Amino acid sequence: MSADQIVFWVFAPISIGSAIAMLFQRNAVHAALFLIVNFFTIAVFYLVLDAPFLFAVQIIVYAGAIMVLFLFVIMLLGVDRDEVLTERVWWQRPAAVLLGVGVFAELFVAIRAGVGFATKGADAFAETANRGGNPQALSRVLFRDYLFPFEATSILLILAAIAAIVLAHRRRRAITRAERDAEETAVLEPEVVP
Amino acid sequence: MLELAWLVPVLPLVGFVVNLFLGRRLGRAAGWLASLLMVGSFALAALVARDLLALPGDERVHVLHLFDWVQVGTFRVGADLRVDALSLTMILVVTAVGSLIHVYSIGYMEGDPRFGRFFAYLNLFCFFMLTLVLAENLLVLYLGWEGVGLCSYLLIGFWFERASAANAAKKAFVTTRIGDTFMLVGIALVFLRLGSLDLSAILEPEIAGVQPSGVFTILALLLFAGAIGKSAQIPLHVWLPDAMEGPTPVSALIHAATMVTAGVYLVVRMHLFFEISGVALTVVLVVGLVTALYAGLSALAQDDIKRVLAYSTISQLGFMFVAAGLEAYAAAIVMLVAHAAYKALLFLSAGSVMHGTGGETDLKLMGGLRHAMPWTAGLMAIGALALSGVIGLSGYFAKDSILAIASEEGRALVYWAGVLAAVLSALYVGRLVVLAFLGEPRGERARHAHESPAIMLVPLGALALGAIGLGALALDKVTGVLPALLEPVVGELEAGTAGLPEPALILLSQVVAFGGLLLAWFVYGGGIDWLALRTRLASLHRFLNRGMYVDDLYSTLLVAPGKAGSASLAYVVDLGIVDRTVNGLGAAVQWLARTGRRVQTGLVRTYALAFLLGAVVLLAYIGSRI
Amino acid sequence: MSTPIAYFLLVSAALFTIGTVGVMVRKNALLIFMSVELQLNGVNLALVAFSRMHGNLVGQALTFFSMVVAAAEVVVGLAIIVFVFRRRRTANVDDLSVLRW
Repeated sequence: MSADQIVFWVFAPISIGSAIAMLFQRNAVHAALFLIVNFFTIAVFYLVLDAPFLFAVQIIVYAGAIMVLFLFVIMLLGVDRDEVLTERVWWQRPAAVLLGVGVFAELFVAIRAGVGFATKGADAFAETANRGGNPQALSRVLFRDYLFPFEATSILLILAAIAAIVLAHRRRRAITRAERDAEETAVLEPEVVP
Repeated sequence: MLELAWLVPVLPLVGFVVNLFLGRRLGRAAGWLASLLMVGSFALAALVARDLLALPGDERVHVLHLFDWVQVGTFRVGADLRVDALSLTMILVVTAVGSLIHVYSIGYMEGDPRFGRFFAYLNLFCFFMLTLVLAENLLVLYLGWEGVGLCSYLLIGFWFERASAANAAKKAFVTTRIGDTFMLVGIALVFLRLGSLDLSAILEPEIAGVQPSGVFTILALLLFAGAIGKSAQIPLHVWLPDAMEGPTPVSALIHAATMVTAGVYLVVRMHLFFEISGVALTVVLVVGLVTALYAGLSALAQDDIKRVLAYSTISQLGFMFVAAGLEAYAAAIVMLVAHAAYKALLFLSAGSVMHGTGGETDLKLMGGLRHAMPWTAGLMAIGALALSGVIGLSGYFAKDSILAIASEEGRALVYWAGVLAAVLSALYVGRLVVLAFLGEPRGERARHAHESPAIMLVPLGALALGAIGLGALALDKVTGVLPALLEPVVGELEAGTAGLPEPALILLSQVVAFGGLLLAWFVYGGGIDWLALRTRLASLHRFLNRGMYVDDLYSTLLVAPGKAGSASLAYVVDLGIVDRTVNGLGAAVQWLARTGRRVQTGLVRTYALAFLLGAVVLLAYIGSRI
Repeated sequence: MSTPIAYFLLVSAALFTIGTVGVMVRKNALLIFMSVELQLNGVNLALVAFSRMHGNLVGQALTFFSMVVAAAEVVVGLAIIVFVFRRRRTANVDDLSVLRW
C-alpha cells in the first residue's frame, strides 16, 4: 500500500464520520466543530490529489474564515440552544433519508458507468499539469483562460460585503405595528402540520 | 276611405301606447281618450262601410297590403287587411260595442289605482280584435287571435292582488292555448297542403280539388279546435265562468260581445273548408248543440249574477255554432251581432247592479232592486226579453231564424234540442231578473242600493236600443239587409220546405219565450219556496252549479297529474339531480383546492424535499437513458 | 496516485448526500446553512478529483471559483439570518411559514 492509499483510507472514514456526526448534533457549536474537522479532511484529500494550493486555501478560507463566521453568528444570536425535536411534518425525515439513499445510489451508478473503478488518474501529473509548481500552474490557468470570471468574482465579493453591511444595519425608524405584532408572535408553538 | 281602413285597428293601438306611458298622468282623461279613439275608429269604420257599399255587390272585396311581414325563403306573408262584407260587419260591431263599453268603464272603474292601464289594455284588445277580423291571411289572423288571448289574460287578472283573479286569468290563457296550439298546427298544414295562407287564395272554390277531402276535414277540425278554445265550447269551456273575476266591462266586451265570437267568425270565414269536408260541419253542429244544452242547464243553478251570464254566453255561442253547422252562416252572424248588443247590455247592467249594491253578486242576497235602481232594472229587462227571443226584438230574429232553418232542413232533432235550449235560456234569464229586481231585498247590501251614474246608464240605453232594433237587419233570413250583404262571402241560404209551417214556428217560439219567463216568475217570484226546493234537490243543484263537475274532472285528470309531474321535475330532477350535480361540481373543485393547497406548507424544508424528489427522478431518468 | 479516482468520487458523493439530508432534516437555519457548505465541499472534492483524472487544472480553477462564491454566499446568507432573527427572534425555519395555506 502506497502512502496516498494509507492516507486515503484513514481520512475517508473520518471525513464521512464527521459529516454524519455533524448531522446528529443538537448543539450548533458542536456541529460547527465537526464541520471544521470535515473541512480539514477534505483539505488533506486535496493534498493527496496533487492540489496543494487548494489545500492551503481550503484551510484558510473555509475552516479559517467561513466557519469562524458561522461560529460568530451562533454566539451572537445565541442559537446554540437545543433544537426542538418534534417534527411538524411527520414524513419529512423518512422521506429525506429515502431520497438521500436514492441520490447516493444514482451517483454510485453514474460513477461506475462513467468513470469506472479502475481509473487511477493521469500519469505524470506533476510534470504536465503542475509544471513549475501547483500555484504557478494554477495562476497560469486562472489569469489566462479564466480571467474574466476571476475579475467577476472580485466584484462579487465586494457586492457581498456591501450587502451584508446593508442588511445588518440597524436603522433608527418608527417601528410599524406589523413589526410589533411580529415581535409578539415571534416565538410560537409549532402548529400541527397535516 | 278604403285605403285608410288600416286606421281602424291602429287608432286604438295609439290609445294603448299613449295610455301605457302617460296613463297615470292623464288620470280620468285616459278613459276619455281611449273612448274617443274608439268612437273615431267606429266613425272610420262607418266611412269604410259607405265606400265599400258603393261598390257593386260582387266586387265588395278590398285587400290592403300594408308591408311585407315575413320573408323566409319561399314563405312570404304580408301585413294584409281584407275589407269585405263579413269583416265590415265585425268591425262595426267591435267598434260600436267597444266604444260604449269604454264610456261605461269611465264610470265603473273610477277610483281604481290602475285606471289608465285598464284603458290601455282595453284599447290594445280592440286593436288585436280588429286585426283579427280584418286579416287577409291566416298568420295576421293568428296574430290577432293570440293578441286577444293575451289581453284577455291581462284584463281578467286586472285585479291580480286577488289570487282567484290571477288563477282565473292563468286558467283562461292555458285553456285557450290548447285550442290555439291545434289551430297553429292547422295553419301550418294549410300552408303545407294548400301552398298559401292568403284568404284570397285559399277561399276559392277551386281549392277543393287541390287536396282530398280528408285533408280538409283535418284542416277544418284543427281550426275549429282553436274556435272551441276561444269561444268556450265543450270541452274547453271551463275558463269562461271563472273569467268573471275580471271587471264587468271586460266580461261584457271580451267575454260576450267580441273575443268569444272570434271562433264563430273563424268558422264562418273558413266555411269553405267545412263544407268540403262535411264531417267537420257535423262536428261543429254537434259541439254547438251539446254545449248550448249543457250551458243552459248549468246557468239555471248559478247564484252569482255574472256566472249566470257567463254560462248564458257559452250557450248562445253554441247556438251560433249550430247555425254554422247548418250552413246558415248569415244567421250565425246575425245572432252574433244581436247577441253582442243584448249580452253586453245584460253584463253592463249586472255591473250596474254590482256598482249600486256596493259589490253584491249573489242573487240569493238581492231582490227588490227595481225600487232603488229603476233604470237599471228596466234596461236589464229589455236585455232579458231580447235574449228570450220575444218577438220583435233582435233576439227573436236571430235565434228563431236558426231554429226555423233547422226545421226547414228537416233536422228535427236539432230543432227540438234548440227549442229546449231556448226554453232554458228564457228560464235562466227570467230567474235572474226576478231574483234581482222583484220581491223584497234579502241582503244588507241590497237594502242600501242606489242607482248608477249617468255615465254608466247612457251606454246601457244605447245598447238597449241596439238590442231592440238590430233585428231590423235581418227581418228575413234570406233577403234581410245583413244576410244579403253577407251573401257574396258566405253564400246563399236555400230555404228548405220541411218541418212545421212558419206560423207554427213563430207561435212555438213565443210560447217558449213567454212560457219560460212566466215559469221563472212563478218559481222564483214568490209562488214556490224555491229555497226549500233547492234543499230537497241539493245533489242535482250542486251537479248543475258545478258545471256538471267538468272542472273537477279536469282538475283530477289533468291538473293534479300535471302538478305532480312538475313537482317531480322541480324537486327530483331540478333540485335533486341538476342542482346537486352543479353544486357537486363546485364542491368537488373546493375539495380539490382544499386538498391541493396543503402542498403549500410554508416550510422551506418541504419545498427542498420537493426539489430533491424532482432531482432524483430526473437523475434516474437520465441515468436510465445512458 | 494509486487510489482509484472513483473512491474519491464516492466519498464526494457521500458527503453531498449527507449534506442534502442535513438540509432536509435540520430546523435551525444555521445548521441548514452548514449542510449546504458540506454539499459544496463534496462537489469541490469531486471537481479536484476529476481534475486529477483528466490531467489538467480546469477542475481546480473551478474549485477556486466555487470557494469564492461560497464565501460570498455565506456572508450574505448569514446577514439575512441575522436580520430575520432580529425581526422574529427565531432561527427556526419552521416559524417562517407565513406563505402557508
